[in-house]
Amino acid sequence: MIRFEHVGLRYGIGPEVLSDINITLAPGSFHFLTGPSGAGKTSLMNLMYLGRMPTRGLVTMFGQNINKMKRQDMVAIRQRIGVVFQDFRLLNHMSTFDNVALPLRIAGKPEKEIQNNVRELLEWVGLGEHMNVLPNTMSGGQQQRIAIARAVVTRPRLLLADEPTGNLDDEIGERLLGLFEQLNRMGTTLVIATHNQMLMDKFPHPRLILSKGHLTIEESKFNLRKKLEGLF
Amino acid sequence: MKVIPLHKKEKTLGKVYGKRRYDLPLNNNANSRFLVILIGLMSFLATLGLSAFFTLGAMSQRWISGLENNLTLEIPAETSEGRLLSLDEMNNLTQAAASILTSYPDVARYNVMDREEIQNLVEPWLGKGALSADSFPLPGLISIKVKDQASRQSVESLAKKIEDTIPGARLDTHESWLKDVLRFTNALRFSTTVLLTVIAVTTVIAVAGAVNASLSAHHTDVELLHLMGAADSYISRQFQRHALLLGLAGSAAGAMIGLLGVTAIDWLAGEMEIYTSPQQYTSLPQTIGTAMVPAVIALLAMATARQTVLHELAKMP
Repeated sequence: MIRFEHVGLRYGIGPEVLSDINITLAPGSFHFLTGPSGAGKTSLMNLMYLGRMPTRGLVTMFGQNINKMKRQDMVAIRQRIGVVFQDFRLLNHMSTFDNVALPLRIAGKPEKEIQNNVRELLEWVGLGEHMNVLPNTMSGGQQQRIAIARAVVTRPRLLLADEPTGNLDDEIGERLLGLFEQLNRMGTTLVIATHNQMLMDKFPHPRLILSKGHLTIEESKFNLRKKLEGLF
Repeated sequence: MKVIPLHKKEKTLGKVYGKRRYDLPLNNNANSRFLVILIGLMSFLATLGLSAFFTLGAMSQRWISGLENNLTLEIPAETSEGRLLSLDEMNNLTQAAASILTSYPDVARYNVMDREEIQNLVEPWLGKGALSADSFPLPGLISIKVKDQASRQSVESLAKKIEDTIPGARLDTHESWLKDVLRFTNALRFSTTVLLTVIAVTTVIAVAGAVNASLSAHHTDVELLHLMGAADSYISRQFQRHALLLGLAGSAAGAMIGLLGVTAIDWLAGEMEIYTSPQQYTSLPQTIGTAMVPAVIALLAMATARQTVLHELAKMP
């Protein structure tokens, strides 16, 4: 699904914010991306959703070499990726419904299908009564749910979420992780960037740990605990 | 999919009414009003410039057609030695010239102008009554209409034949005068073409500037659409449509005011007796040209918006 080989990224003439990243994320996998602030999580996510091109190294997505890909061919790749941005990036002049419908409209889906899917999804995330409301009049948690709904409405093959539970209380955060789990079971590959240690401990997914631009992979503590329990 | 209500008591605030028209809030932009006014001004100037272009064309065409195939034969009133010719001598020379013209195959018709007609011609310069019956020597004049198929060589041959028979006689083809006038009107027409080009270039620069400002203002939203997988054409269509609508609104108003301006100028010119072209509005090319000003400017604005947006989007990965 995603393969990074010796990938590096620097902004302008500054130092490398990501150095020699080597990862392979299999289709249908679920990873947490974690690390201290400024470690490069958002930069790595940026590379994954093709917001930037690496300054060195090889990136392969959906089996295609991104480095050699034409700009217009990246459109189809981007349409397979759902992104939950840390700052939501909602369009405040549009209603909740239209925000969530936007990826479907961009993909050229028929309006009837859009109406059904978006209504169903907004009901599901508890915003059924707020379809015609402008996002900037809603709470942080509600805005986050709109952002999540928008990211998953196309049933993307890859879902990238940057701190998706940052503005939610633990209970709602867990429910949303449940939604991600459900998507994952349906075949979506997930990378969730989070600081929430407790949340990560509750789910048996490996962690991509970024520190000073370097990436290491760690097995889930949940799995380790299970293994330890098995030993005794 | 199971429905999980997360918040049941949330209030409905800031409801959105009406249909979604743009993914980007391009209408909520001070640039839009500026652009409509600027396009209106450009359209107003283009209408005036186009009107001047067609009027000058009609004028020169009228002059050309008025003088086409017309010649004037002038028989001087004095000999080469400076002796004034008597009336009888003048009549004899005129008759000699008339017989050459009668026998010449390329001459369609001719008119020997009598003394009264000649007096009427010079009256505007010398004043009424300045010429008494025989006190002032007047040249003999014959206006000639040659056949359409008459060649330049044929006219030159006629001139030589007349000159051989009547020393000092001059066949005027009006060419030198016409050349100067046409050169002048062509220079004016070229100036209006330059003006129209400047208007087009100014419109392009203004629209490109406004679109760039709009792109900067909505950069985050444009980037979001791009990251969601919107093709460049999808994003540029929004700006194109917006520029087209603004262009149509501005240019239609500008062209309308421009037409009123042309009518006013025409009326004033008539009042001041400097009326130049009697068929200013009835010519089909001018009617079509003026009617197309709003469409052309709006399309120009749309094409500029498209190119500007595509150019900026190309900078994104």
